[in-house]
Amino acid sequence: MIAVDGLTVRVGEFALDNVSFTVPNGAYGVVIGPAGAGKTTLLESIAGLLPLRSGRVTLGGADVTRLPPERRPVGLVYQHAYLFPHLTVRENVAYGARSAEDVEEVVDRFGLALVGDRDVTSLSGGERQLVALARALARRPAVLLLDEPFAALDPRSRAAVRREVRTMYFDRGCTVLHVTHDFEEAGLVGDVAILLDKGRLVQSGDPADLFRRPATPYVASFLGAENIYAGTARPIRAVSPDWSDAAQGQYAEHPLAFDTGSLTLYALGDAVPGRAHAILRAEDVMLSREAVASSVRNQFRGRVVEIVSAGALSKVTIDVSGTSIVSAVTTRAVQELGLERGREVVASFKATSVHIC
Amino acid sequence: MSPTASEAAALAPLRGSSFAPAATVVSGLLASLLLLFLLAPLVGLVGAGGASGVRQLASDAELRGALALTLFTATAATFWAILGGTPLAYILARRRFTGRALVLAILDLPLVVPHPVAGIALLLVLGRASPLGSALLAAGLRLTGSPFGIVCAMLFVSAPLYVGGAREAFARVDRRYEAVARTLGDDAWRAFRRVTLPLSLRGLTAAAIVMWARAVSEFGAIVILTYNPKVASVLSYDRFTSTGLSGALPVAAVLVLLAIVPLAMLRALRRDD
Repeated sequence: MIAVDGLTVRVGEFALDNVSFTVPNGAYGVVIGPAGAGKTTLLESIAGLLPLRSGRVTLGGADVTRLPPERRPVGLVYQHAYLFPHLTVRENVAYGARSAEDVEEVVDRFGLALVGDRDVTSLSGGERQLVALARALARRPAVLLLDEPFAALDPRSRAAVRREVRTMYFDRGCTVLHVTHDFEEAGLVGDVAILLDKGRLVQSGDPADLFRRPATPYVASFLGAENIYAGTARPIRAVSPDWSDAAQGQYAEHPLAFDTGSLTLYALGDAVPGRAHAILRAEDVMLSREAVASSVRNQFRGRVVEIVSAGALSKVTIDVSGTSIVSAVTTRAVQELGLERGREVVASFKATSVHIC
Repeated sequence: MSPTASEAAALAPLRGSSFAPAATVVSGLLASLLLLFLLAPLVGLVGAGGASGVRQLASDAELRGALALTLFTATAATFWAILGGTPLAYILARRRFTGRALVLAILDLPLVVPHPVAGIALLLVLGRASPLGSALLAAGLRLTGSPFGIVCAMLFVSAPLYVGGAREAFARVDRRYEAVARTLGDDAWRAFRRVTLPLSLRGLTAAAIVMWARAVSEFGAIVILTYNPKVASVLSYDRFTSTGLSGALPVAAVLVLLAIVPLAMLRALRRDD
């Protein structure tokens, strides 16, 4: 378990201010935030490498706030590996290991036996990161701190190293705190997400919850929500099946209408009526040539203004009376629907997909 | 000699970065004149006195003694600079503390003070008239007319070169290497010994060589404290004043040849970077 309570750290002009969160025993925590949010400072504070101004750090149930780094049960892997260049691969892995068996185990596990005698400067980026991971794991830490471990890797190496990290995590059952600026990566690997910005904790919890129910438009924007609207929320009486279906689900909250520009979106939420933001993820917006007969409450006819394809997925921007709605669909669907600029389409999405904050 | 990676990057020509032909000719001429100005006296000196200087080594006991004393005292001064300067350089490279700027300024002072003035200052503080000098004398360490005085003079004027070089060497080692070592079970001293020191060793060696070379060539501060026994630089001055240019030439030429050794070592270290 990693428990951070009221952590305040100052490094030069930067300050990490009153950060608190908990990653349960054996869980995979992901710290997300833009550059300069304080993610690395947070990891280094937990590792005991930076002095705290105030707050408490508990690892595996023990208060380690006053312990030096070498007495904390942590392993730390930085983005750039920081392999000791004067040592071979095997010497790096063995650096902090408590036994030769532990070294052999991780060397075998990560397939490093063949490169064991090599100079670390001759390794590829992916290999370097694997050695750094092996070096940290050879010490058998209860808590593993990963600072953007995939960021400097090419896509192929990234996939390989990510796979190893996940396998290792399941094998060892240690608690992981993984820092990333990539919200997609956070969604892929995390059990608990912690969002930092400018040294402050913005939101923490289940990653799916952060994605679906961001606390602020900033969080939504950072987590890749394409449709963010400013407007006014007002309560309404439930009138369609869409409401009643959702009312029995996990977001059983009151129906709302949200006026933005010329559109009125229908949503469910616990938002206080008044000025607010509506968040809608592009992947929740369906496109069709004609209006569909369904319980979906939000249906808007508009014209395609832009199609951006990125491999198998495409983002289609629809103009609905001056308001843009972005939909993420498969590139194949774009072809099947015959979508092109100027083509009239219907965008539809459930009230449960609209989050008011 | 092949350039280092950073030198190679700096040497790579950018397209369209050439000067106009006239500007190239003028700047080339000026650069050549400066190089000639720097090189000609030394080449002339070695050409005129190098062979006789080397021959004289066999017959001139005073020259051999001066060279031995120079090498010994320069090595001793470098040893003491390493001992005290290494922790100081590490602290300056790694910590931001109140008074750091003052410490850096203190380290710069000996480099800008005229060296005879440095000798006078040392005489004032460590001479027999001062309380510290009296204490040293009581302990058998006399500042004037002794190898101890020579070491003090060399240490005073050259140690800042070691501390500056060592500070840069430590600063070049990313502190995250130490951070990783700490999380792998090393305490601060062990992380320094196992990681920082090996990674900065080349820079520390280069700094020590620069300091040693500067100590070997020191004259101004030494001559104030210790004319006798003579180090090589004082001997060359003494021969010049007593027997003229012809007498000073062999000693001076040997000193120039001696300077080539650390220079070659430095280039070799940098080439391996």
